[in-house]
Amino acid sequence: MKMTKRLFGIFTIPAAVLIVVLAVSRIQGVALFATEGNWVSFFRSVANVMLVTLALSINLNSGRFDFSIGSVALLSSVISATISIQYQLPVGIMLLLSVVLGAVFGFLSGLVYVIVKLPPIIVGLAMALFYEGLAFAVTGGYGVSFVNNTELVGFPSVRNYSLIIVAALAAVILIFDYTKFGYNYKALLSGQKVSVHIGIREIPNTLICYGIAGALMGAQGFITATNTGTIQMTLNFGSIGAMFAAFLPMFIGGYIGRYINDKIGCLLGAVSMGLVSLAYVRMDVDSSVQQIISALLLVCFLIFLNNEQKFKNLVKQGR
Amino acid sequence: MELKSVMNRYGLKQKIFSIAPLFGLIALVVCFLAAATAKDLNIAYSMKNILNQSVVVAVIATGAIFIYTLGSFDISLGASACVSALVGGMVYNATGSVTLMFLTCVGVAVAIALINSVLASVFNLPVFVTTVAMLSVLNAVVLMLININGTGSQIAVPTDAVAGLNTTWFKLLVLVLFFAVCLFVFDFTKIGRLQKFLGGNPVCAKLSGINNKRLAIIAFVMSGIAVGLGSFLSITYAPTLTKNTASSVGMDVIISIVFGGMPVSGGARSRIYAAVVGAFSMTFLNQIMVMFNLNSGIGQMVKAVIFLIVVSLAMSNQRNKEILPR
Repeated sequence: MKMTKRLFGIFTIPAAVLIVVLAVSRIQGVALFATEGNWVSFFRSVANVMLVTLALSINLNSGRFDFSIGSVALLSSVISATISIQYQLPVGIMLLLSVVLGAVFGFLSGLVYVIVKLPPIIVGLAMALFYEGLAFAVTGGYGVSFVNNTELVGFPSVRNYSLIIVAALAAVILIFDYTKFGYNYKALLSGQKVSVHIGIREIPNTLICYGIAGALMGAQGFITATNTGTIQMTLNFGSIGAMFAAFLPMFIGGYIGRYINDKIGCLLGAVSMGLVSLAYVRMDVDSSVQQIISALLLVCFLIFLNNEQKFKNLVKQGR
Repeated sequence: MELKSVMNRYGLKQKIFSIAPLFGLIALVVCFLAAATAKDLNIAYSMKNILNQSVVVAVIATGAIFIYTLGSFDISLGASACVSALVGGMVYNATGSVTLMFLTCVGVAVAIALINSVLASVFNLPVFVTTVAMLSVLNAVVLMLININGTGSQIAVPTDAVAGLNTTWFKLLVLVLFFAVCLFVFDFTKIGRLQKFLGGNPVCAKLSGINNKRLAIIAFVMSGIAVGLGSFLSITYAPTLTKNTASSVGMDVIISIVFGGMPVSGGARSRIYAAVVGAFSMTFLNQIMVMFNLNSGIGQMVKAVIFLIVVSLAMSNQRNKEILPR
C-alpha cells in the first residue's frame, strides 16, 4: 500500500474531527484548550475511552460479548480505594492494586465462562450482577469517598494520564502482536475450530484475554475514581453503560486498523472521541443533545462501514 | 443402564433439561408459598404484587422473543417503553382520552421499533449496536420530553383516569391475549417457522430465498406492539411518569428471556413461553429475597448465582465439548 494512501487512512478521521471541532468552537467563540484543566480533561477522556475500547475489543473481536467489564472496573476500584484509604497507601500502589484486582476479577469471569460453557453474553450478565452486588455489599451501599485525601485525588494530570495511555498501549501491543499467546489469539479469532484441532489451547488463551481485559478495566476504574474522589454504587446492570461509549471508537479503530496496528487505531479513535467530548464541555452542550449527537455519529459511521463498497460504486458512477 | 438408553432413544434427557426453567419456576413458587406461610404474610396480596411487577416485563419479553429468535438482541426496549409511556401520558393530558393514550403508546413503540429494524435490515447494521445507539437517543428524548412538557421532573396522568384499568383481571387479560396471539404467530404460522429457520441458519435461509429483511421488520413490529402494551400497563400501575419509568425493563427483559430457557443464538430451540416463565421466576426470586431481608448487594449476588445455575441446567444439552461457545 502506498505511504500516502496509508497516511490518509490513518489520519483522515482524527484530523477531520479536529478540524470540525475547532471550526465549530471558533464560530461559538470558545477556545478548545484554554486552560490546563482542559488538557487534563482531554487526556483523561482519551485514557478512559482507550482503556474501555481495548478491553471491550479484546473479547468482542473473538465473538465474546462481555457485559461484566464495567462491573470489574467498579469492583476493583472500590476494593483498591478502600484498602488505600485504610492503610494510607500512595496513589501509585492504588493504581497497581486496581489493575491487579481487575485482572483477577476478569480472570474469574473467564473462569466461570470456560467452566459453565454458556454463551459469553449470559456469563457476562451473571458476572455483572454478581460484581455489582459484591461492590454494594463491600461498601454497605454507601460507595467510597476520598475527596479529602490529597494524595489520591492529586493523580489527575496530563503527565500521569499520558503515562497510563503509553503503558497500556505498549503492553497490549507487545502481548497481542509479539508473543506466542498473541499469535494463538489471532489464530483462534480467525478460525476457532481449526485452531483447536491443530493443538492451540483455547481455554488458557481465553482466560488470559479475560484477565488482560480486566486489568485494563481496573486502570479505567482507578482513573474514574481518582477524578472525582468518589465511587458511587450501582445495581441492576447500572455498570453496563460504561462500555457503550466504547463502540464508536472501537469501530473507528477497526477502520484505521486497516492501515496501521489496530490498537493504535483504537487510540486514534479515543483521541477523536476525546476531542468531541472536550468540545461538548467547552461549548456547554446539553447532555441530551450530546447523547443524540454521539448516537447519530455512531449510526452514520456504521452505515458508512457496512455499505462502503456501495458508496464507492456510487462515487465511481458519479465520475 | 436400561433407563439411560431409553432416555437417549426418546430424547427424554433433552426434553427434561429443556423444561428445567419451568421446574425452576415451580420450585420458586413453592419456596415463596412456604416462606410466606411461615412468615404469616397475606398471600393473596403478595401474589397481586408479583403479578403487578411481572406483567410489564412478561408482555414486553414475549414480544421480544421474536427478535431473539433471529439471533438478534435489542437493548433499547426499556427506554422505548419509557418514551412511549411519556408521549402517551402527554396525549392523555391534551385530549383526556384513554383510548388515544393507548393507541399513542402502541404507535410510538412500533415507530421506534420500525426505525431500529429499517436501520438494521436496510443498511445492514448489527442489530445490537443499532439498539445501543437507539438507547442513547431515547434516553435523551426522555429528558427532553420531561423538561418540555412535565411539571418539575414528571408527567402525571390523573390516577382516576386509569384506576379502572389498574386491576389484576385487566392485566391478566392483556397478558393472556397477547401471549395467545404471539403463540399462534410463533408456533402455528409460516412467519414463526421462517423466523426459527432464519435464526438457526441464516445462510441456508437466505439461500432458500427467505426474505430476511421482511422477517426482521415483522419481529421488530411484534416487539414494538409488546412495548406499547407494556408502557400502557405501566401507566395504569404508576401514572406519575418520570425518567425512571420502566428504566429497569430493558435488562429485566434480557434476563427473563434467558432465565426462561431461551437460547441467545435463537433458532429452532426458541420457545415463546420462555419470556413469561422467566419474568415470573425473576419476580418470585426477588420477593423471596425481600422476605429474607437479604441486603440488596447480597441479594443480587444470590440472584446471579441462581440465574447461572438455572440457565446452565436448561442449556446443558446444547454444549459443544470441542470449542467454547461464542
